Amino acid sequence: MKHVLLLLSLAFPAAAFSADRVEFNRDVRPILSDKCFTCHGPDAKNQKSDFRIDTFQHATADLDGTFGIVPGKVRDSEVHHRIHSHDPAGIMPPPETKKPLTPEEIAVLDRWIAEGAEYEVHWSFVPLPETVEVPAVRSDWVQNEIDAFVFARLAEAGYTPAPETGREKWLRRVRFDLTGLPPTLTELDAFLADTSPEAYERVVDRLLASPAYAERMTAEWLDVARYSDSYGYQVDGDRRVWPWRDWVIRAFWENLPYDQFITWQLAGDLLPDPTRDQILATAFNRLHPQNVEGGSVPEEFRVEYVSDRLHTYGTAFLGLTMECSRCHDHKYDPITAEDYYRLSAYFSNIDEAGLYSFFTPAVPTPTLWLPEEEQAEKLRKLEAEIAATVSALERRRAEAGSDFAAWRQAHPAPLPLPEALAVFSFDEVKDGAYPNAIPKGEAAKTTPNNQVVPGKIGRAVQLTGDDAVTLPLGNFTRDDAFSVSLWMLSPDHKERAVIFSRSKAWTDAASRGYELLLDDGRLCAALVHYEPGNAIRVRATEEFPSGAWKHVTLTYDGSSRAAGVGLYVDGEPIPLEIVRDKLTREITGGGSDTIVIGQRMRDSGFTNGRVDDFRVYDRTLTPAQVSALAAGKREFRADLPHYLATEDAAFRDGRAKWSALRKERSALVRTIDEIMVMEEMASPRQNYLLERGLYSARGKPVSPGVPAFLPPLPEGAPNNRLGLARWTVDEANPLTARVTVNRYWQLLFANGLVATSEDFGSQGRLPTHPDLLDWLARDFVAHGWDLRHLLKQIVLSATYRQSSDISSEAVSLADPENTLLHHFPPARLSAEMLRDNALAISGLLVPTVGGPPVKPYDIAAAFKPSPPDKGENLYRRSVYTYMRQTSPSPLMTSLNASKRDVCQVKTERTDSPLQGLVMLNSPQFVEAARTLATRLVEIHGKDDDALLDEAFRRTTSRLPDEAERAVLGTLLSAELAHYTAHPAAATTLISLGDSPAPPNDEAPRIAAVTTLISTLLNFDECISKR
Amino acid sequence: MTTSCTGFDSPLGLSRRETLARFGGGLGGIALAGLLEKSEGAVAPPPYLTSAPKAKRVIYLFQSGGPSQMDLFDYKPRLNAEQGKELPESVRMGQRLTGMSGNQSSLPLVGSPFAFRQHGKSGTWMSELLPHTAAIADEITVIQSMHTDAINHGPGVTFMQTGAQIGGRPSIGSWLSYGLGSPNDNLPGFVVLITKDQKGQPLVSRLWGSGFLPGKHDGVRFRPDKDAVLYLNNPGGLDSRSRRRMLDSLEALHRLQLEKSGDTALETRIAQYEMGFRMQASIPEVTDLSSESDATFALYGEEARTPGTYAANCLMARRLAERGVRFIQLYHQDWDHHGGLPGGLKRKCAETDRASAALVTDLKQRGLLDDTLVIWGGEFGRTNYCQGKFSPTSFGRDHHPKCFSIWMAGGGVKAGHSYGLTDDYGYNILEGGVHVHDFHATLLHLLGVDHEQLTFQYQGRHFRLTDVHGKVVNEILA
Repeated sequence: MKHVLLLLSLAFPAAAFSADRVEFNRDVRPILSDKCFTCHGPDAKNQKSDFRIDTFQHATADLDGTFGIVPGKVRDSEVHHRIHSHDPAGIMPPPETKKPLTPEEIAVLDRWIAEGAEYEVHWSFVPLPETVEVPAVRSDWVQNEIDAFVFARLAEAGYTPAPETGREKWLRRVRFDLTGLPPTLTELDAFLADTSPEAYERVVDRLLASPAYAERMTAEWLDVARYSDSYGYQVDGDRRVWPWRDWVIRAFWENLPYDQFITWQLAGDLLPDPTRDQILATAFNRLHPQNVEGGSVPEEFRVEYVSDRLHTYGTAFLGLTMECSRCHDHKYDPITAEDYYRLSAYFSNIDEAGLYSFFTPAVPTPTLWLPEEEQAEKLRKLEAEIAATVSALERRRAEAGSDFAAWRQAHPAPLPLPEALAVFSFDEVKDGAYPNAIPKGEAAKTTPNNQVVPGKIGRAVQLTGDDAVTLPLGNFTRDDAFSVSLWMLSPDHKERAVIFSRSKAWTDAASRGYELLLDDGRLCAALVHYEPGNAIRVRATEEFPSGAWKHVTLTYDGSSRAAGVGLYVDGEPIPLEIVRDKLTREITGGGSDTIVIGQRMRDSGFTNGRVDDFRVYDRTLTPAQVSALAAGKREFRADLPHYLATEDAAFRDGRAKWSALRKERSALVRTIDEIMVMEEMASPRQNYLLERGLYSARGKPVSPGVPAFLPPLPEGAPNNRLGLARWTVDEANPLTARVTVNRYWQLLFANGLVATSEDFGSQGRLPTHPDLLDWLARDFVAHGWDLRHLLKQIVLSATYRQSSDISSEAVSLADPENTLLHHFPPARLSAEMLRDNALAISGLLVPTVGGPPVKPYDIAAAFKPSPPDKGENLYRRSVYTYMRQTSPSPLMTSLNASKRDVCQVKTERTDSPLQGLVMLNSPQFVEAARTLATRLVEIHGKDDDALLDEAFRRTTSRLPDEAERAVLGTLLSAELAHYTAHPAAATTLISLGDSPAPPNDEAPRIAAVTTLISTLLNFDECISKR
Repeated sequence: MTTSCTGFDSPLGLSRRETLARFGGGLGGIALAGLLEKSEGAVAPPPYLTSAPKAKRVIYLFQSGGPSQMDLFDYKPRLNAEQGKELPESVRMGQRLTGMSGNQSSLPLVGSPFAFRQHGKSGTWMSELLPHTAAIADEITVIQSMHTDAINHGPGVTFMQTGAQIGGRPSIGSWLSYGLGSPNDNLPGFVVLITKDQKGQPLVSRLWGSGFLPGKHDGVRFRPDKDAVLYLNNPGGLDSRSRRRMLDSLEALHRLQLEKSGDTALETRIAQYEMGFRMQASIPEVTDLSSESDATFALYGEEARTPGTYAANCLMARRLAERGVRFIQLYHQDWDHHGGLPGGLKRKCAETDRASAALVTDLKQRGLLDDTLVIWGGEFGRTNYCQGKFSPTSFGRDHHPKCFSIWMAGGGVKAGHSYGLTDDYGYNILEGGVHVHDFHATLLHLLGVDHEQLTFQYQGRHFRLTDVHGKVVNEILA
């Protein structure tokens, strides 16, 4: 929000017209960056010219006898001639860029060349100095080091600081800054009465230790983390991520050192023996918008998610704008496209889908379970029992050989094959369906498009790939044993074809259910809760033969393990590779509860494939049974699995117990919540440079790595997210500490020392107080990244204690944006503070910390309305207000709350007429006004003067002066007269809102006071930090 | 205009508040503006105002879901002749398909079941579904060669409305609010009207959001409700005399505060409360259609009497245009005919055809068409092949990004003109392709704005509505 002219008047004259030498970073880089780099900068590949002016080496290079810059020799430098040219074909920058150089800028460039064209590393990439000298300042004004830096600059410009603000104003200021809430009257009185030297510090310490402080810091961090309670994009379903928000509150409350605050969020899952909170913190990386629009390409959106993680990381921690480098090398900063994709590779290595599931409420993988303590205990017990039962079964299997041999000797006769649940021969179509060979079994539905053709046995169905054959059964759970056998003929190599599935859809249901596919020509079976991260998937190592009838059997033992899945071709088990082996939740649900052959929603069907003799069993067929089935026999010779399952009492009982335990576990697991987090895949994903940023235009393969213009990973750091996190908070990283202290400076002073808190690159603003920024950053690191320490020293500084009144018109004209901090910068309160303030002073605020999001009144008036909550939830702090990305709280939006669709480190505050309407008319604010009015009338009765004073003090933390008293007194008497004459209107006004209305006998007075409070709730000193 | 301006500076090099004060209209009389004039001399027009504006305002009738161009504007008899035949690969040329039909085992061509004929002196082709639009054929330019990069609704609509497929960028109306301000002191400069109770692909509020521009450039949605704007009305039991007294007291307090603090931002605050007060009168006035004549309702259709219908919104758009609102954005949903296209499309046209045409006619009658740009269109077209199973009465078409049709009227656009040409299959563009960025560049040009120079610096970049692309389509300019 700085005034451009200011920099012209303060910075440029210093260089261009004074005896000072030109400084590259201060004077030259901003010109080159904005006017020259687009065509002569770091993005060499996409530039027409060979000439580059972003480094000394390039700028002074010999280009066929022409030299862009000859240091010290202006007239020999081509740049000089080009920027002075009047020839439209030769002048730089070219007229069509519409960015001409000003005469002052031309003068600066000439002087710079004349003085030797020295380059400097961009200021923010210079390592943080070990020590920063504090200016020696002789002034009683100075309270701590911060003030010395500020005073020195003020003195240099010939200014003096503003007088210290009153105690009431300071308390109000610090109360909002640190807790987001106004001081209570008791607090105010206590502070005014405390004349000890430690009074200020005592207040700060108390505030920093309060949960309200943690909530206030969290509210700001939610904007950075683009937190919302819904997935975003078009459908924008609800997602349950508030446990992460509650972790943030805990982290601030416990004053988790900020380097750990960063590390946990980036890579808590990779810390040794991570705690639940450390893993939970990584949900930070999953808070980007997620898509579910039907027909979208999953990879397109997966790439988008990875990019969002990187952009958020770049903005939040490094103050770098990564987006530019997504399509080409950065035009202004030395970030190449390769840097971009190497950095983004750190965030790409999780087992996720590009689309979440439309048909099921599954939480996108990877996830962390969040059981209550009791649930966790129960689960631990069950898992232990299951493990013990399984090993008992294994033992029994290993020992049973001789018993089986004896039994078989006694029972040599072949046994009949088990009964199937359903058998379809496809020999005929009857009433649009294939009859079921099982007596009274339901038929399988089809459309006439699927043909009856000669089969393996009699006739078979030939599938179109777009028409389903829908069976009447097959809704097995992951705890059920089942088998499916069929004859099938694939006419050709299938890249992907669904043979059969119990699953509503592919991407739209995250494949929930089970399925048999041809995948890259190979048989592939899966049981899926959420594709890909919560599933069992096995695939044949060899291609399935085309053009021949083959007998295929899928068996499953109900174990939820890949080892429990068997695939047989022509009666023989085939070698399988395990693609996924992590199934921990149900495979039912999502619709389409029966087996469907040959087709699936938005998936590739089994086009022109043939299927015959399709059988479904509610048991795990044994190898001997499968073999007999494939051979067309009706009997089989008993094998060990058959013996164990049917004849061995110990094994049979063990199996029954195992099955019951699994079902019990599933019932428990269904009640346990989970949340999206980060979890590295065992085998890293291969990442690529994407040409023009397109997901489909893969360029060269890239591996994770940090940009070359910044320091390398610290010694011994692994090359993964954890290494990146260590690098981010490492001593050698020049950015993170500066970016962090700047953001907190901004939190208190409305602007950072670097006004572009989101951009520390070459297009960003220069720091107004570079040494102070470095000193603060160094001090922050030296104190173990202690945020409370940082905030405390700032709010106790004399700089922070200045009055916000503009004392001298001359000073404010010379520096209208107050970059030198010649007074405290006033600012309107944030949306959260405005609403919380009204709740707090009215006594309505319900201070419960944490928990699910709540829906205040205005959610009913949102673009996509939902019914508001009742009772306490209407009065919680705004940090808990339900945030739906495509339909945020209209009240909060009107008051400039962040949109939370992308990482935002700075929220703007602009007045608009709609804000007044919200603050004067919305039930939330009117109810607050009438509630406070009721209390004040209770306390003061008809003593208008006392009532007025307290009303004013509660809303502004001070007493009114005579002029203010007169204004408000007039209003109060006019309104009292009005409502005395209109008692019905009074009753209506004071009944507004959900909370009980006050007794009616005082209605006119309460209504009149309500209008008074409502007015005060819109008064500058109530809604601004001054 | 120096290297150092931040995102909050306008292209003039003034802070946003100053820009607002000078160009934003709406807040005339702010002391700050006077102060600056004194210190800096005369005010030059912003550099992006490079041409004389033909249009002063825009009414954008957005048909969300992707209306089927070859059933409405882009006549393709060959599709009828080759109905049922497979889409030739030589035509498709590897174009990506959505996941909805991409795995279909066949892509059979399907012709339009609707009769086409030429209309007006211009001989513009239109199908029988648009009899009223056909009657204004000589007022409009039909662009048959629009194309986009998006194949799904979320990215597609976002692209049309903000110039980027991914969210977070300002919408067209926000750019105009930022660049041109609002000429009306009593109404927002960017108003959004949505047909109520429509099914179909959901709309999202960021479509009329200001992205990284200051929040006051957000579109303001008028709802078919007593509170046309959120909390427009005083709370029950509080009448406008009390409200007036409250605001007078508030202003008195703010004037005292201004004296003490010297903070001129208080002037803005006072002005904003006053504007809010005026809006409490002006919005009910503009949204109340009861003063409109029976002839007008006959023109727009009787359903215009029902608040929230498309017809009522078209009529309200005219009332807003009359009062100088800069950008009026309508949305009508449910054009996404993956199945049941013949019936569905007929229904959509019945809901919109008469009122769309009536708006153009009405604006013309009132002499407003010359400086009001009316745009009708969706986010992409539909495929020439059938999605799902073919049946003459219930077939569907999938999304098609490579060509679609929109029309424009008034505001400096040719009357009675067709632009661009697609191939006989209605699949690829042969001539005069108009990309979404070109469309935006042209729109801004008609308002006198150079799309390359209306920029906003955010995260180090000078952002434009047209990204780094866009060419003005001179051929459609009158």
